[in-house]
Amino acid sequence: MSLVNSLPRPDGEFERLQEVWRTPTGWRFFKSVNNTSIGLLYIGTALLFFLLAGILALVMRVQLAVPGNTLLSPGTYNQVFTMHGTVMMFLFAIPIVEAIAVYLLPNMLGARDLPFPRLSAYAYWAYAFGGLAFFCTIFVGLAPDGGWFMYPPNTGNTYSPGLNADFWLLGIGFIEISAIAGAVELIVGILFTRAPGMTLRRMPVYAWAMLVVAVMIVFAFPAVIAGTALLEMERAFDWPFFIAERGGDPILWQHLFWFFGHPEVYIIFLPAAGMVSTMVPTIAATPLVGRRAIIVALVGVGFFSFGLWAHHMFTSGLGVLEMSFVSAASMAVAIPTGIQVFAWIATLWNGRVQMHSPSLFLMGFMFIFVLGGLTGVMVAVIPFDWQVHDTYFIVAHLHYVLIGGMVFPVFAAMYYWLPLVKGQRLSERVARWVFWLMFGGFNLAFFPMHISGLYGMPRRVYTYDAQLGWDFLNLLSTIGAFVFAFGVLLFIVDAVRTLRRPEKEVGNPWNAPTLEWLTSESYGNRSIPRITSVNPLWDQPTLSQEVDRGQHYLPGTATGLRETIATSPVAAEPRYLMVLPGDSWLPVIAALGTAGFFLLLTVKAMLLAWIFGLMAVGGTIAWLWQSDRKPPLHEARVADDLVLPVNAKTMSSQSWWGTMVMLVVDAFIFASFGYAYVHVSMRLMVCPPPGAALPGLPWQLASSGLLVASSVLMLLALRALGKRRLPWLVLAALACTAASFLLDLRGHQFAGLDPSASAWGAAIGALLGYQGLHVVVLAIAGPYLCLRAWRGHLGEHSRATLDNVSLLWHYTTLQGLAGMALVRILPLLME
Amino acid sequence: MHDRFFRQLLRGTLPLLVWGTHFVLCYLLAAAQCTPAVMRAGGPDRVLLGAATAVALLACAWLLWRERAILRAAQEAPLLDWAAALGALLALVAVAWTGLPLLLVSGCA
Repeated sequence: MSLVNSLPRPDGEFERLQEVWRTPTGWRFFKSVNNTSIGLLYIGTALLFFLLAGILALVMRVQLAVPGNTLLSPGTYNQVFTMHGTVMMFLFAIPIVEAIAVYLLPNMLGARDLPFPRLSAYAYWAYAFGGLAFFCTIFVGLAPDGGWFMYPPNTGNTYSPGLNADFWLLGIGFIEISAIAGAVELIVGILFTRAPGMTLRRMPVYAWAMLVVAVMIVFAFPAVIAGTALLEMERAFDWPFFIAERGGDPILWQHLFWFFGHPEVYIIFLPAAGMVSTMVPTIAATPLVGRRAIIVALVGVGFFSFGLWAHHMFTSGLGVLEMSFVSAASMAVAIPTGIQVFAWIATLWNGRVQMHSPSLFLMGFMFIFVLGGLTGVMVAVIPFDWQVHDTYFIVAHLHYVLIGGMVFPVFAAMYYWLPLVKGQRLSERVARWVFWLMFGGFNLAFFPMHISGLYGMPRRVYTYDAQLGWDFLNLLSTIGAFVFAFGVLLFIVDAVRTLRRPEKEVGNPWNAPTLEWLTSESYGNRSIPRITSVNPLWDQPTLSQEVDRGQHYLPGTATGLRETIATSPVAAEPRYLMVLPGDSWLPVIAALGTAGFFLLLTVKAMLLAWIFGLMAVGGTIAWLWQSDRKPPLHEARVADDLVLPVNAKTMSSQSWWGTMVMLVVDAFIFASFGYAYVHVSMRLMVCPPPGAALPGLPWQLASSGLLVASSVLMLLALRALGKRRLPWLVLAALACTAASFLLDLRGHQFAGLDPSASAWGAAIGALLGYQGLHVVVLAIAGPYLCLRAWRGHLGEHSRATLDNVSLLWHYTTLQGLAGMALVRILPLLME
Repeated sequence: MHDRFFRQLLRGTLPLLVWGTHFVLCYLLAAAQCTPAVMRAGGPDRVLLGAATAVALLACAWLLWRERAILRAAQEAPLLDWAAALGALLALVAVAWTGLPLLLVSGCA
């Protein structure tokens, strides 16, 4: 195959590329937005939370080592187990899989960076600031204590009057932000920034897994965002969504939480499965068996995982037929999961396995995860679940699935990919100790819990009586936990030792077939490779040298800015040159403002909270203000015979896709609020309930008319690009949207809406509030757009702000219309 | 959209979308007919749900039949053909399995 760029390369080309992508040193490193820097910080922070939550686990195990122990008081124990679960799930498990993707994916795809580097930086810093502050609540006795799934009514104001529950609701807000930002990055990055020739068929299985996971985040997270918002509204304003006496329903929380919570298990597991599918062919030195079947299975698991949420609720009084459907789906998910496990076994069987450190952890993963999967099928059987629900059997099952399914693959991944950081491998001799301590310790800690659970030991008890016969099993579990922890400690010592060694050439230590083993720096590879096979480094033996010499695409910087090549989503053919933003403090400032605002709001330091809030808004606006500028060139040469346009418009641009993904998230949050309204309405004998009424039709008709008018005005504004009337059309649209909202609100006020009187009224209040939030966002976005127009930053080559604000506008119109229709039509259907 | 992305996406995921639609319909109808608002005497309407299951099964079977060519050249078949065929098989099994309780369970309690 002839190469796309000839030699020799022009003088200074490589130096300019290095200069543009140079990572700042010293304290300025923290303003870096490059995926390599942010990815490493992200992984490090997630591991820190793993250690912190692990220490909490050890504290619990010490408490339970002997019966009648008084080390921890019941209240402290509640905080410790809640923080252990919450931090492990929300601040370690989800972030680490996203962090590894942020670090790894661009290199694996042959891109220079992710499409929205500053968004990654913002998401990371919001998570780091917010997560660390959240963790500190345990030192002052303010940590949440309602369990990691925070069921009301236990977590409502009556039984949890302190700030503890509020900190939980707030603490996971940060991971909601970073998870969704990560999903936007991953979907757009995977679909649009792959190396030329890397068709969907040739795309690494890990990228497939992350694509499925990102889509799952888009559909799963909205439920918990809405759920936490409802619970916080109940706690702050006494809107009784979950209070049965006023028409609320605690089960509503369980539906919303688990509609997120169960897919979340797969959001954690599928990236690990993707990593396993990447490592297994390398350690067996043979192509992955059943690669296409594995990809289909990943997609299948993604779908099925949304039908399993209610298996966490088998004892909550759901109808027997609904439970049976969910039970069946819970068993059905074993099929696509089994396809993957059998394909890995077949690959290992087919090849010649080298028993390096990653192999050990992969074998450990398979053993433990398969056991966890089997107990999963057991608890999918409803009568068995009734028997073991809320016992240590469940604790054993979930740790087999999560530690087996995620922690062991992540450790395998760290052994496998750590050489990318400084070229140094971890010690193989120490790795054997680490593995056997972790594997042995894990089984010693958690296998006895199956038995203590079957003996009836409930989870979350702070102690137990000696006569119950649980002492020995608990002591074994405690010993196992410490053996496991010792293995982790040994790993840390070895990792620190290895990372302190001098840097050396990375090379390809495992003879892996994927692109991340090409020589890479902060700019990714010297040139962006053209791929012709599924295993490029095996099938294109000279690829590495060609890429290093700059013989593939974009061997320098064409515009003098950071950039990568955008390719088509299926065939991965080059489409345009995507200009990327550089390093900046603004995402850090915006993240600090966001974290400070929510934390200070929780402790009711209102003035300071608003200062931080303004900092968040100001930082974000300043960051956006610098983006979407006219590029220095309209076309750029990326290869001898290939000239690409610089940046793209509307549906072709990355920002349009990013906005669309955000709007899908938005729509599902709204749908979750809508579901809450339907759920509480269906519990009524008469709808609206006595004392409540629907707003008069004229109010809603007028409000709808104004919404439609605002969208028409925005359509006219789109057509007025470059003309002086554009800002005035936008301001008129804003006036219509605001007036529409006020009319709708007024209609409800006249009808006597009282959100604290009944859950029905509260649900309408939530729908109205969400629409109001959009009006506020448009009230910032509209004038911002006008300002850009007046300052000359809107034009044919810098129109993304206009396109994206207009998308948000039409979405708000649709949401407003849908909300009014839902509120009005449901009672008619129930008559 | 470039290189018929959405068309290909739909072909690859259609069987699983059929499963999802069937599941959502079954769950929501069964749940709704056991609530105070639209309580149905005797529990959820199993005839209606059975009919929906039969339609979903037929749809999955048809999608599977449409992809039968893969049996002749599975090794060379592109990923999309695999997705359409294996997805249809998965969906067929899952719809049948999810629908099974309709034969065994009745009532709300």
